[in-house]
Order: sequence, then C-alpha cells, then structure tokens
Amino acid sequence: MRGFILKTVSLILFITALVLSLAGCKRRGEECSVLYYTYSDTYISTVRSAMDKALSGAGIGFHSYDAGGNQTTQTEQVDTAIAKGTGILLVNVVDTGSEDAARAIINKAKNAGIPLIFFNRSVADSIIKEYERCIFVGTDYEEAGHIQGRLIGEYVRDNFERLDINGDGKISYVLFKGQQGNMEAEARTRYAVEDCNKILSEAGLSPLSFYDRANKDGYLVDQNGTWSNAAANDYMKTILSGYSEAGGNMVELVIANNDEMALGALAALEEAGYNKSGKRYIPVFGIDATEAAQAKIREGAMTGTVKQDGELMAVTIAKIAENMLSGEDMLSGIDESMIAGERRVNIPYSAYVGEDKR
Amino acid sequence: MGEGTTKNDGFFTKIIDKWRGRVENFKGMSGKDRWKTAKGLLLDNAMIIIIFLAIIVIAILRPRFISAASIINIISLTAARLPIALGIGGAIVLTGTDISAGRAVGLTACIAALLLQSQGYMGKMFPSLAPLPPFLALLIVMAVGALIGLVNGFFVARFKLHPFIVTLSTQLILFGTVLLYLQIGNNGGQTLSGLDSRYIDFVTAPLFRISGIAVPRYVLFSVIITAIIWVIWNKTVFGKNMFAVGSNEAAANVSGVNVFLTIIGVFVLAGITYGITGFIEGARIASSASYTGQNYESDAIAACVIGGVSFVGGTGKVGGVVIGVLLLQIIFVGLNFLSVDQNMLYIIKGLIILLACAVDMRKYLKKR
Repeated sequence: MRGFILKTVSLILFITALVLSLAGCKRRGEECSVLYYTYSDTYISTVRSAMDKALSGAGIGFHSYDAGGNQTTQTEQVDTAIAKGTGILLVNVVDTGSEDAARAIINKAKNAGIPLIFFNRSVADSIIKEYERCIFVGTDYEEAGHIQGRLIGEYVRDNFERLDINGDGKISYVLFKGQQGNMEAEARTRYAVEDCNKILSEAGLSPLSFYDRANKDGYLVDQNGTWSNAAANDYMKTILSGYSEAGGNMVELVIANNDEMALGALAALEEAGYNKSGKRYIPVFGIDATEAAQAKIREGAMTGTVKQDGELMAVTIAKIAENMLSGEDMLSGIDESMIAGERRVNIPYSAYVGEDKR
Repeated sequence: MGEGTTKNDGFFTKIIDKWRGRVENFKGMSGKDRWKTAKGLLLDNAMIIIIFLAIIVIAILRPRFISAASIINIISLTAARLPIALGIGGAIVLTGTDISAGRAVGLTACIAALLLQSQGYMGKMFPSLAPLPPFLALLIVMAVGALIGLVNGFFVARFKLHPFIVTLSTQLILFGTVLLYLQIGNNGGQTLSGLDSRYIDFVTAPLFRISGIAVPRYVLFSVIITAIIWVIWNKTVFGKNMFAVGSNEAAANVSGVNVFLTIIGVFVLAGITYGITGFIEGARIASSASYTGQNYESDAIAACVIGGVSFVGGTGKVGGVVIGVLLLQIIFVGLNFLSVDQNMLYIIKGLIILLACAVDMRKYLKKR
C-alpha cells in the first residue's frame, strides 16, 4: 500500500509539475487569444505555425485554442478567453453555415469591449459591420473555386483526347466536397465545374459529366464535414471497385475541395495502379497547396492546386492585431491591393502546378 | 461510527456528531491504523484535494481565475453539461454506459431549433410553421429523448445486450437521422439558425447579476434537474431498484425487483436529460448542425467516473457527478488560464481520468 500511495502522489506531482512548466513557458503578458476551428486541419496547421511566428515577431503574447471542429467548444473558449482578460480575439470560426454563431461571438466581444479579428473561414460582411472593432481577414471565398475551375478547364481543353479514356467525347469526373452547408465548399463545388465548362464550351467541347448518373448532386461529401483525406479515400476506393477502364466507365478526372481530399483520392488511385510513371494518368486537382500536395505535384502524381498564402495571412493578421492593440487605424501598413472594403482584407490566391502561376 | 446520531435536533448537529465520532474513533486507533485511515481518506478524496490544489495554484498565478466573471463562466459551463452527465450516470450505475448520448443531444437540439425558428427567417426549414411556445418545445424534445432512451433500454433489457453495443448502434442511427433531418424542407443540409428570440431568452436570459455579470437561466434549469434526479436516485423505489440491479442483477431479480422495467426506466430517464441538454444547447450556441453534441458522452462519462460513479456498478452519488463535471470544467478553464498548450490538454485529461479510475478501483481491489 505504501508503494501505491507513493505512486499516486508522484503522479499528482508529475501532472502539477508538467502544468506549471508548460505554463512557465508563456508567462509574459498575454494579450491575444487565437481560436482555431480545428488543429486537425493541415492547412490550418500551416497557418498556425506561421501565426505563432508572426505574433511572436510582433512581440504579442498569445494563447491558442483548439475547437476540435465544434462550435460549442469554440463559443465556450471565447467566454473563457474573455474571462481571462484577453486583449484581442482572433477567431477562425467553426460554423460558417449560419450567421448566428459568428454573431454570438461578436456580441460577446462587443459586451466586453475587446477587438475581434475573424480569419480564414468566412463571415458575412453584414455581420462584421455590427461591431466597429471587428474585421475579417481571409480570402474572397469564391476566388479559389474560380481559379480551380479555370485551371481544370484549361488543362482538360488542352488534353481532351488523352483524358477521354473510353472515347465517348465526354470527360466523366468525380468531385469531393468538404462539408455540407459551408459557404467556401459550396462555392468551390459550384465554380470548379461551372468555370471549367465555360472554357470547354468556348473550345467547342462537351461539358464535364458526373461519373454516376444517378447522383443528382454532382458531388460526394465528407459526411463528418471535416474535409478529410480519409473520406475522399474511402469514396475513391469504392468508386474504383465499380468503375474501371475495362468496364468503359472509368472516372477520367478528380476534383476536390481541398488538398487533403485530393491526396486521399490520389492515394486510392495509386493503390489501384494509376498515376505512377508509365501508368495511366487520371488528373487530380485540389486547393490549398499544402506541402504534401506540392510535393505530389512536383513528383507528377497530382495535377494542380490553388495556393492560399498562409504566411501572408498570418503576417497580415499579426499586423492588424498590433494596430488594434496600440489603438492605431487597424488597416495602417496593410497592402492596398488586399483591402476589400473598410472591414475586409483579402489574401490573394494563385494557381500552383509545380510553380506559382497567376 | 458516530455516537448520538439518534438525536433528532437538526441537520448540522447530526453532521457535527458524525465528525466528532470519527475523530474519537481516530484517536482510539493505534499508530499503524491511524496512518492507514488517514491514507485511505486522502486517496478516497484525492479528486477533491486535487480540485482545491488546482484552484489555489491557478488563482495565485492568475488572480483573474477567481474573479466573478470567471467563476460565473465556470458555473455556466458546468450547468450546460450537468443534465447529460446525470443521465449517463444512471446507465453507469447499471454497469453499462451510453455512447449515443451526444448524438441524441444533437438530434434534440436540431428538433428544438426547427420548432423554434423565428417567423420570416430566410432559410427557415418550413416557412409556414409558426414557432411554438418554448416550454411546449421543451416537452417535445424531452419526449423525443425519452423515445431514444426507450429504444436503448428495450434492447439492453430484452436481449441482454451490452449497452455499449446497443448505444453504439443507436449512435450511428441517430447521426444518420440528423443528417437526413437537416436535408428536409428548405434547409438543404445547412446549419439550423435564425431562432425565435423567445427561445433564446427562455434559456439564456439573465437569471440575476453578480457584480454586473449575468448568470444565465439554464443554470437554474440545471439546479432543478439535479434536484429531481437526486430525489429519484435516493428517495424513490425506482432509484433503490436501480442501485440493486446495478450491484447484482440476479439478486435483485430474486428479491422481486422488476429488472426489465428498471433498466428501461434508467435509459428513458437518461434520454430525457439528453433532450433537456439538446434544448439548452440549441439556444446557448444559437445554431445547431450535424456536429452538435458530437462526443459529448465522452466528457459526461469522464465526469461520472471522476465523481465516483463506478463502472463496477451499483454505486454513485448525484453529488459526485456534480463534482466530476465541475472538476473537469475547473481544470479546463484553469489550464487555459495558465496558457497550457492545447495539445497537452488532451493528454492531461487522459491522465486525470486514468487517475480517477485507479483511485476508484483501489476500493474494490481492497475488498477482495
């Protein structure tokens, strides 16, 4: 028994020591709370490491929160950050499908008189304007879809013969959607196909056709709404078990709302013997330009992606936060070309096919 | 132990007598026994001791932790999570568990949101449906929760399936139902929002203010539910039967307890608490989506275990569950106050649950 009590006490001491040592690292003045929608998103992780660097560089103490993809958790974290006396809130909101979640956060910040920056995941302008110390830093959420659509359209136009495996004069495609009810996912899903078809029809070619005629939606969605690699991989494997070159119904083009899903689909294709040197090539397009996707594109297995500059976003946010904390005009020192309206800063996208392409 | 407990002059006298008895008992022990008793007391109350140590340490490092705003924040967070934990507590007393709870909360939150979407909201699911009075909607979601509990309880009681398997199945079924449900009407898979202000007020309007900080109404809901569950567990035949079935089903059966109805009753009661949690959740966050309630059961189960509701079955106190939920919230808010890295939170949570279970099991190992 004596051994047991010793062990228990030492475990308690260990936890306490752990907590204190961790707390010790960031003891200096903490003015800024950064709330991410989930740590499990690869692109957000890129933003997070850039943000850590940018905030430290600007001399702003900060603490980051992981909402784990749950708006409830995030709203509670806002309460906690305010109770803790944070100087500014940087929020990567979870729920973009409704206005009320963002509005609830704005009201909390407003009541506490704390400036608020929403970033990355879109919040409507009309809501941002409800609080004079609130701004949105993100991207024009429709732009990524347009750029991806143009990228796909030009690629398919230039390689039509080669891509049309069964020679039916149509390219059959599959599209993986990241989340139901997310404005970004909706726009990407729509414009990727619409803009591509515009280019095809200008060239006198027939529009893309969804591989499964029975599916009226024209997409397959990650049921958990996490834009995940695994969901796309599962779907793609299932597709490859029913659709093949031999059956004359092979999927001839893969479009994904983000790189994680593109890579998941690509992994399934590679497993089935596609997209390796000397093997049949099914073009795969994503968005985000994560490190892994860029590597796959350079390697020649993936076709293209759309780059959202995480570092530029982080640096811009840090600058605005600094301005807000010091009471300056919040947009001072921000590149004019990125300012879209008095409460909105858009970080530009670019196409990536092994090198940046504007 | 206590002497003079037959005296009937008031609650406090009783407690004082009880403690006096304990102290005298302790004085009469030999050195070795004293050490043993003290050690036992220390370990049995390890969780409460940790709470106090944590509060003191955090309050010294971050004085704002014990400001009114922060305390009310912790109480509100605890109140929102208490009903579901009390519901699951019952299932754990029966040596079971309920992992469908989170999804049940999600479904009931979405139903509450539908019933209470304000008239004229653009994305309204059914534009012609006028918002119901909030109290009526509350009764409806409680009924839906009860129905879910009935299904869970029926399969556990009738087919002797382990609750883990039954609720794993219902968890999936409920999630699918939520996804389908969100597609109907005008909604198209969107988040449900645009809620009637009467609903939001019913749940979140200030109950009263302490130094300018509002205490939301759902704290009162939570207090009422806790009181009701306390009465059910401690003062009713059903409650006694629940503990009897939990500690030894066969023996309870022999002594005339209707095991079948008791199990169903526990799950129905649990279902009702999920309905209430869903109702509160819908208004508190102001929007409900497919992820609402996801993994809520894991925190609730952890809170029960920390609060001494044992997976061995047949033991558990309402007060313990309250302490469990409170402890989790204090630790979590506290760790955020200390700016502990978020990745570490999961690890620390895991260690706390492990420690709580080890302390709990120690009692049973000793008995053998």
